[in-house]
Amino acid sequence: MATLKVSNLTKNFGSTLVLKQINLDVSDGEFIVLLGPSGCGKSTLLNIIAGLESVDEGEILIDDYVVNRVEPKDRNIAMVFQSYALYPAMTVRDNVIFGLKQRKVSKEQIEKSLQHFSKMLQIDQLLDRKPAQLSGGQRQRVAMGRALVREPHIFLFDEPLSNLDAKLRVEMRHEINKLHEQLGTTMIYVTHDQVEAMSLATRIAVMNEGIIQQIGTPQKIYDQPNSVFVADFIGSPAINLIQGTVSKDGAALSFIPDQQKDGDKIPLSGYSFETEPGEGQKIIIGFRPEHIRLPDTSLKSQMQVELKPILIELTGYEKEITFEFHGNEITGRLPRHVDAELGKSITFSLDLSEISIFDSASTMRI
Amino acid sequence: MPAADPQQMEAVERSSARKRTFFRWLLFLLLGLFAIYYLAPMYVMIVTSLKTMEEIRQGNLMTLPNEIMFDSWKTAWSGRGYAAGDVFLRPFFWNSIKMVVPAVFISTFLGALNGYALTKWRFKGDNLIFLLFLFGCFIPYQAILLPMARTLGILGIANSITGLVVVHTVYGLSFTTMFFRNYYISIPDEMIKAARIDGAGFFKIFFKVLLPISAPIIVVTVIWQFTGIWNDFLFGSSFSFGEAAPIQVALNNMVLTSTSVKEYNVDMAAAFIAGIPTLLVYVFAGKYFIRGLTAGSVKG
Repeated sequence: MATLKVSNLTKNFGSTLVLKQINLDVSDGEFIVLLGPSGCGKSTLLNIIAGLESVDEGEILIDDYVVNRVEPKDRNIAMVFQSYALYPAMTVRDNVIFGLKQRKVSKEQIEKSLQHFSKMLQIDQLLDRKPAQLSGGQRQRVAMGRALVREPHIFLFDEPLSNLDAKLRVEMRHEINKLHEQLGTTMIYVTHDQVEAMSLATRIAVMNEGIIQQIGTPQKIYDQPNSVFVADFIGSPAINLIQGTVSKDGAALSFIPDQQKDGDKIPLSGYSFETEPGEGQKIIIGFRPEHIRLPDTSLKSQMQVELKPILIELTGYEKEITFEFHGNEITGRLPRHVDAELGKSITFSLDLSEISIFDSASTMRI
Repeated sequence: MPAADPQQMEAVERSSARKRTFFRWLLFLLLGLFAIYYLAPMYVMIVTSLKTMEEIRQGNLMTLPNEIMFDSWKTAWSGRGYAAGDVFLRPFFWNSIKMVVPAVFISTFLGALNGYALTKWRFKGDNLIFLLFLFGCFIPYQAILLPMARTLGILGIANSITGLVVVHTVYGLSFTTMFFRNYYISIPDEMIKAARIDGAGFFKIFFKVLLPISAPIIVVTVIWQFTGIWNDFLFGSSFSFGEAAPIQVALNNMVLTSTSVKEYNVDMAAAFIAGIPTLLVYVFAGKYFIRGLTAGSVKG
């Protein structure tokens, strides 16, 4: 069981700063997902935690012990890679026990661990095969087995599911989730797939351009993104973002979209600001596709909107409908029985209780 | 689209089948011609070596021998039994073996180690060092003759098989390093990272993880080095003479020093003997020249 602490970590590759002042505190048994677009530094951060890359500034602590200069093999970690990184010349058995053999674990102990974990991962029938004779999913299981038998204190996953097809990816995701439930080991997981992040993490750290933009529970990140980047990165279809200005009418604040025509305003009275914007301040409001609802008077903070569909997509379970809204394209996620026709206005309720508001200049939540 | 006329379709099919057959035969014809062109000298060598001098003097280069005689091969290999001035290949053949085996082994092994270090344990200036290795590939043999002669002299291994092993190892390192570097660069770094986390060190990873999947490039390197070193004449003739000479030098001496009549049949047999080991290397190693042994380590 282990805790991990990253403090003020900075990393350069030549003149490019890949990680800037990273701080991360992971308690025992947590499942942290590092989420971000490619090139955001998430894999570099994971490699540094593993000890495969050196630290330029700052410290990495495992169980309150500074491990900056500790070799990867002595950090009591195990890592699963995107390309599986199995040793092609070895059988599955030798792949799995390679690490134990390096550690001079006794033969009986090796055999016991091997039996236990190969059963758990259902690879016990494959032990004498070579990696080339396995399917993608099986290779992934072997890679996990290799990490598991070591019984490490921290598991590191570097986009482990990216090479699998969609169906297998969901299956393996469930298994990783169950594994975490079962073992309760601290896990750090890198991905660019927000669905993986949302479904696996106890906390998500959203990264961009070498900075952790926000760290919090999946729910918090989804409901209260602290920047336009986070809001836009999480959620599919993406959040609707509309630029506009603040208008003050006495104490009541409202939002005027940039390209509005008919004097439409969106009241902001239900929103709790961290810092209240002034009259005329440029802001961005964000609301998720599911916040466009069928008319519902029971919502405590809402406004009626007339919307014209310009694109209707049936996803099976529901309809994703794109509307024109004050010069913006916005997406709604609606039940499939909605009677929508292209170009025909429909009345909806815009749920204002869960919108997010950002400052245009800083793109941060206000 | 109108429905296809079955009769017309059949005609099209027949004519394209005819065309295919025609081009297939044209291809075989061309390949056959080139094969004959390349094999002709070898054919002449073999038939000449099996003829008697009588027959050779009749001047029919391409005809098969009247009677197959291995006498000239025996002469080329073990001599006529004269006490002096009898040059034959046997001792020099073993000289060459004693030179080529360690030189190929050491240069291939060091090349693999270099390639591994240059790709999987990156360090500051590694690209510069690789560039210098590449530069080594372009240095002509002639340019290093004098400095190498001096070096061998200082080391006290001039005119010895050991000296030739050193020369060929050093000269071959550039090539073997380049081969292995280019091969290892395509092997995912993640495999090395996984092994490091598993607790394996520099040499353990090299021997347990990387070397077992290097068969294709080892074969390429061995063929390249073996051919180059076995066939080398310049280093052999510059750095050795007399009893320490490799087979190519001895072959040259044998052909050029015959005092009486030129014995073409013996010369041909000797040249063929000198070429057999390289032929064998191609025949046997070529079989293992399979690519894609890494398939399966990464995504399928």
